[in-house]
Amino acid sequence: MILPALLGRSLARHSALVIAVAALLSAFQILDIVVAYNLQAKGVYGQFASLVPAFIQEAMGGVLVGSFSGAIALGFAHPLVMLSLSSVAIYLASEPAGEVEDGLVDLVVARPVPRSLIVTRSALVFIVGSAAIVAAMFVTSRVTVRWLSPATASALPALRLAWVAANLLAIVWCLGAAALALASHVRERTRAAGTVAIVAVFLYLLQFGAAAWTPLRPFARVSPFHYYEPMRTLLGSMSPVKDIAGLLGATAVLLGVSAVLYSKRDL
Amino acid sequence: MADAIRTEALTKYFGQVVALETLNLSVGPGEVYGFLGPNGSGKTTTIRILLDLVRATSGRALVDGLDCRTASVEIRRRIGYLPAEMPLYREMTGAGYLDFLAALESRPVDFSYRRKLLSRFDVSDVDLRRRLDRLSHGMKRKFGIIQALMGRPSLLILDEPTSGLDPLMIEAFAETVHELKTEGRTTIFLSSHVLSEVERLCDRVGIIRRGQLVRETSIADLRRDTPRRLRVFFDGPAPRPPASLAGAVRRSDARHWDLEWSGPLGTALDAMRGLPVSDIEIEPFKLEDYVLKIYSGTEGARD
Repeated sequence: MILPALLGRSLARHSALVIAVAALLSAFQILDIVVAYNLQAKGVYGQFASLVPAFIQEAMGGVLVGSFSGAIALGFAHPLVMLSLSSVAIYLASEPAGEVEDGLVDLVVARPVPRSLIVTRSALVFIVGSAAIVAAMFVTSRVTVRWLSPATASALPALRLAWVAANLLAIVWCLGAAALALASHVRERTRAAGTVAIVAVFLYLLQFGAAAWTPLRPFARVSPFHYYEPMRTLLGSMSPVKDIAGLLGATAVLLGVSAVLYSKRDL
Repeated sequence: MADAIRTEALTKYFGQVVALETLNLSVGPGEVYGFLGPNGSGKTTTIRILLDLVRATSGRALVDGLDCRTASVEIRRRIGYLPAEMPLYREMTGAGYLDFLAALESRPVDFSYRRKLLSRFDVSDVDLRRRLDRLSHGMKRKFGIIQALMGRPSLLILDEPTSGLDPLMIEAFAETVHELKTEGRTTIFLSSHVLSEVERLCDRVGIIRRGQLVRETSIADLRRDTPRRLRVFFDGPAPRPPASLAGAVRRSDARHWDLEWSGPLGTALDAMRGLPVSDIEIEPFKLEDYVLKIYSGTEGARD
């Protein structure tokens, strides 16, 4: 009974945020695909693609801006999409620090609630919350593509887009787990969420910069964004399983660290 | 039978700040214990260690003989806690708040008892349906008291329970404490700055200053040992005090004496027999006077 109660309370507190971001990013999918469809209809993709430098396309996960498939992948690789999704996961995961800051933890942990359940609850909230947003993006993207261009929808199996979505989720979960680890140690939510959000932007820029400047490439391996190639995944030229497994492994380690830190801290 | 609460050389540092220094205290089962001390003396830290919200630097705290650190979940099954600062989920209704906290209890909450508490503290159905952030401070406090009591815990830890309550609700709280005291199943550990309340409700008090227990005594012993102030008026000029009272007379005027008397009052009254006494004013025992001396450090520390 305890975990469902904790989970229900936390999801209820954050549901408005999750719904709003899901709506926003789903709307982005529609807009992205409608624009791509119009560009395709006017036959201007060639000119458009020539305007985008190759390193930017590479930095955005190999997204080919000059194709309809590229536009679909862009819906899952645009910096705004990736960073807003990461921000939501980071914010959701930072709840333990917020509860300490507000004193709410006094009421909850003064009852027979094992500390591990607080970490489990927050992990589930950021995992479920971000998964719900990505699921909404996925469904919207598929429905919009089927509606505008049934031929493209048939040529791009749903499973490939699902792998892209899963890869994006794995990145977001990794960042969420890092936020949970920090929130299990500090007393202010803004400190936990803000720090990890800044680090996430830095890691994104590192990956982006590595695409343009070769000396940065070895360092880009520490960025979770390095393990994401949506266009190649969408075209079926690579399997993201290893990347996803690596990111999930890092997520699991960070969740373990969170549990240890929270079990030892003063609340 | 194990003490309901026992601390052994409990010490807590927050960095360089000493919050508790070798605190030893014990509270018996069924006792109502007043835990007093000025702000920042270590009361809340002690309570938070009992609840395993913070961890002691050294020493240990026990509840019903169980270590608060190693058996914390089992201990928290037995505790009902009211924090001094009432944390609230602002967007929740009162009913939702109580239901949520009831779901975190290890055993089912007795809803008939909860209804009784709601009625005693004058919480209406309308109040239950209102959002917590729209309730008055006193009403929020009532919800705090009810959530602490509703699980019928064997140990109640109440930090400033009546702060913000109106006199009627303070009375309702006192009635509840008396009821629990009569039943004898609940130990109450009460921290308060309202000394008249402590004097009225508690069997014993412990006074903490700068993280150390400076006095632990029963209210009955305090009443007996604390010097009482008497003013004795005479018909005509005040006579010379007899030898047995001379040491107690602090001030002598033309028509009255001011006495500070320790021990049974009957002895003092016996000593006045035969004197032309017209009236005697006896200042009632006030825990406040005694505690203020300790807070300010003018009363020597004793165990």
